[in-house]
Amino acid sequence: MKKKLFFIMLLASVASFAFAQTPTAAELLARVDANEIFNTIEYDGEMIIEHQNRRFVKTFRGWGRGNADSFIEFTNPEDRGIRYLKTDGRLFVYSPDTERITLISGHMLRESMMGSDMSYEDTMDNASLASRYNPILLGPDILNGRPVWMLELNAKSRTESYPRRMLWIDQENGDLLRYELFALSGAKLKEYNLIRVEVIDGRRFPVEGEMRDLLRRGSRTTFIMRNVVLDRPIADSVFTQRNLRR
Amino acid sequence: MNNEQLGIENKYKQGGTATLIKIAYRNIWRNKRRTIFCFAAVGVAVFFIVVYSSMIEGMIKSINDTVQIYELGHVRVVSSTFEAEKEYLPVQYPVADGASWRELAASISNIPGVRHVFPRITTFASLQESTIKHAILWGINIADEMAANNFNLTDRSDGLIEGRWPAPGGNEIAIGRVFAHKSGMTIGDEIFLRTTSAHFSDRFWSPMITGIFSFDYIKIDEQYIIADFERLQRLLALGEGTQSLVIFADDEKQSASITAAVQNLLGNDNVVTEWSDNYWVAVMRMVMPLYTIIFLIFLIVASFLIINTVVMIIHERIKEIGMMGCLGMTRNEIVKVFFFESIFMAAFGAFAGVIVGGIVAGIFSEYPIRMGDLYGNTFAEMPMSQSIFLAFNFFILIRAWIMGVVVASLFTLIPSIKSAFVEPVEALRR
Repeated sequence: MKKKLFFIMLLASVASFAFAQTPTAAELLARVDANEIFNTIEYDGEMIIEHQNRRFVKTFRGWGRGNADSFIEFTNPEDRGIRYLKTDGRLFVYSPDTERITLISGHMLRESMMGSDMSYEDTMDNASLASRYNPILLGPDILNGRPVWMLELNAKSRTESYPRRMLWIDQENGDLLRYELFALSGAKLKEYNLIRVEVIDGRRFPVEGEMRDLLRRGSRTTFIMRNVVLDRPIADSVFTQRNLRR
Repeated sequence: MNNEQLGIENKYKQGGTATLIKIAYRNIWRNKRRTIFCFAAVGVAVFFIVVYSSMIEGMIKSINDTVQIYELGHVRVVSSTFEAEKEYLPVQYPVADGASWRELAASISNIPGVRHVFPRITTFASLQESTIKHAILWGINIADEMAANNFNLTDRSDGLIEGRWPAPGGNEIAIGRVFAHKSGMTIGDEIFLRTTSAHFSDRFWSPMITGIFSFDYIKIDEQYIIADFERLQRLLALGEGTQSLVIFADDEKQSASITAAVQNLLGNDNVVTEWSDNYWVAVMRMVMPLYTIIFLIFLIVASFLIINTVVMIIHERIKEIGMMGCLGMTRNEIVKVFFFESIFMAAFGAFAGVIVGGIVAGIFSEYPIRMGDLYGNTFAEMPMSQSIFLAFNFFILIRAWIMGVVVASLFTLIPSIKSAFVEPVEALRR
């Protein structure tokens, strides 16, 4: 009897140890959300679009404040002067060709941004994933030789652009190594793979990643961020329509 | 014994066939009602052949005109990469790797038979705040193109029904009648649209609507936004280049030689297409033999009535055939009499069909049939005007008449031959 009791206690302690090592789905999602949080960001961006055997390189300068405000100005010769402003949940564009500011809305938000594999809507998501999705931990997995946690997210709202997401989170450092976005029908629409992370001010920050829009034949876009500066104060005037038109 | 030996004058023999024709002609009027039915049967068949031939030739002409004016000209030049991705209408792959279209056009104009060389841009645009979400932006040299071709194939005009065409270089566009109706937009309205540039970047544009056109071609009237070529060229960052070059020849028959010359001039990195290579043009070319078979079936069915009539006549005139044989008519001559009767019935019937069919085709060659009203958008994918002018020409009429006479005559030859095998004595005994 004593032996049995000892065995049960041993089993219980091993199990509790194991469970203590496995984070919950909510904890993992909170960790992913936390990685995205910064007060401000400034960077030089590069977007390499490979589409139907052609390669297009676009460069831009970007500013961001939290998840709500961002400003991008394209600097490559072909697109020089095109500026985007995201503020108050709305996206504006300034086109030097027409010298006009226009609000991008409706179905246009679902279209490709500057020919990339990312849509305007993809850039508009302000709220954290935890507030928009119910996570389910599917368990451990190995991705490119690294141990990861697989997380499935199901949208709380029916209006979410991607009703289902799959996330692969590095077990060691919490990096979001890969995610896949699905339509309501279950069809996979897009996939993202993290390429490179830099430690900036003691924080791991994703600076290079690749997005593929699977509805576009032979297409992928690599986003590269250089000269990233985090949490340096940015003037309010940056995130204004006046700055778009300047 | 021959006629000379019998002392019969050569007069009768000399007029042999003519006399047989005269006998046949008189015979057809012996039963007028039956003859008129035969006329009607052949006539109706020939009438349908004339009308259907005119309609099909009208459709073919409409398809040819539509393909030439809106799509390919007589010859079209695009880059080979554009051709591979043409369903996306990309502007990233200009002709001759972005070389100046003016220089290209100048070189092409030196080729014998070339009348006009026009640059064109056709690309997709997304529209905001409109019931129509997507449209096709069409950049053309408006004044030059309108001077060269009638864009409204029904009215034979430039198709502008309201306002004016966009000014060169201006932030102006013209939209189709159906587009305007569906979107609720009108002259003076601004339309916000997004398109993709030659550098695969977004381009936003808010041009003002200055004109509304109706080309009576549903695809263009419903989906197209016409802009000045140079304005679109600038907006899409094409430099001096163009997405396509459309060449019009002095005569469409010169298209093949021009195609070869342009291909030779521009090399294999560019795809030079002749208008007759268009899918729908090729389809119509292929179905023409099928229509000929259908026409023949019309005639064969109509011929059954004549066959039946000839068989009846032979039975009715069996004693008469015996008499003719006894009087010295050869089997060949008796067959000829019945055969000529059949030819008369076929020829007169076919003539009546040609006259009535010709009148109908003539009327509808001036006043078009509104196919769009009859079929709605069923044939929207076909490059064809909504109104079809029937083709009216003497070739169609003569061909229908000859078909009518030949088919009906051939089919009545068999029962006519039957008359030759009637034994005179046996016939007289009946």
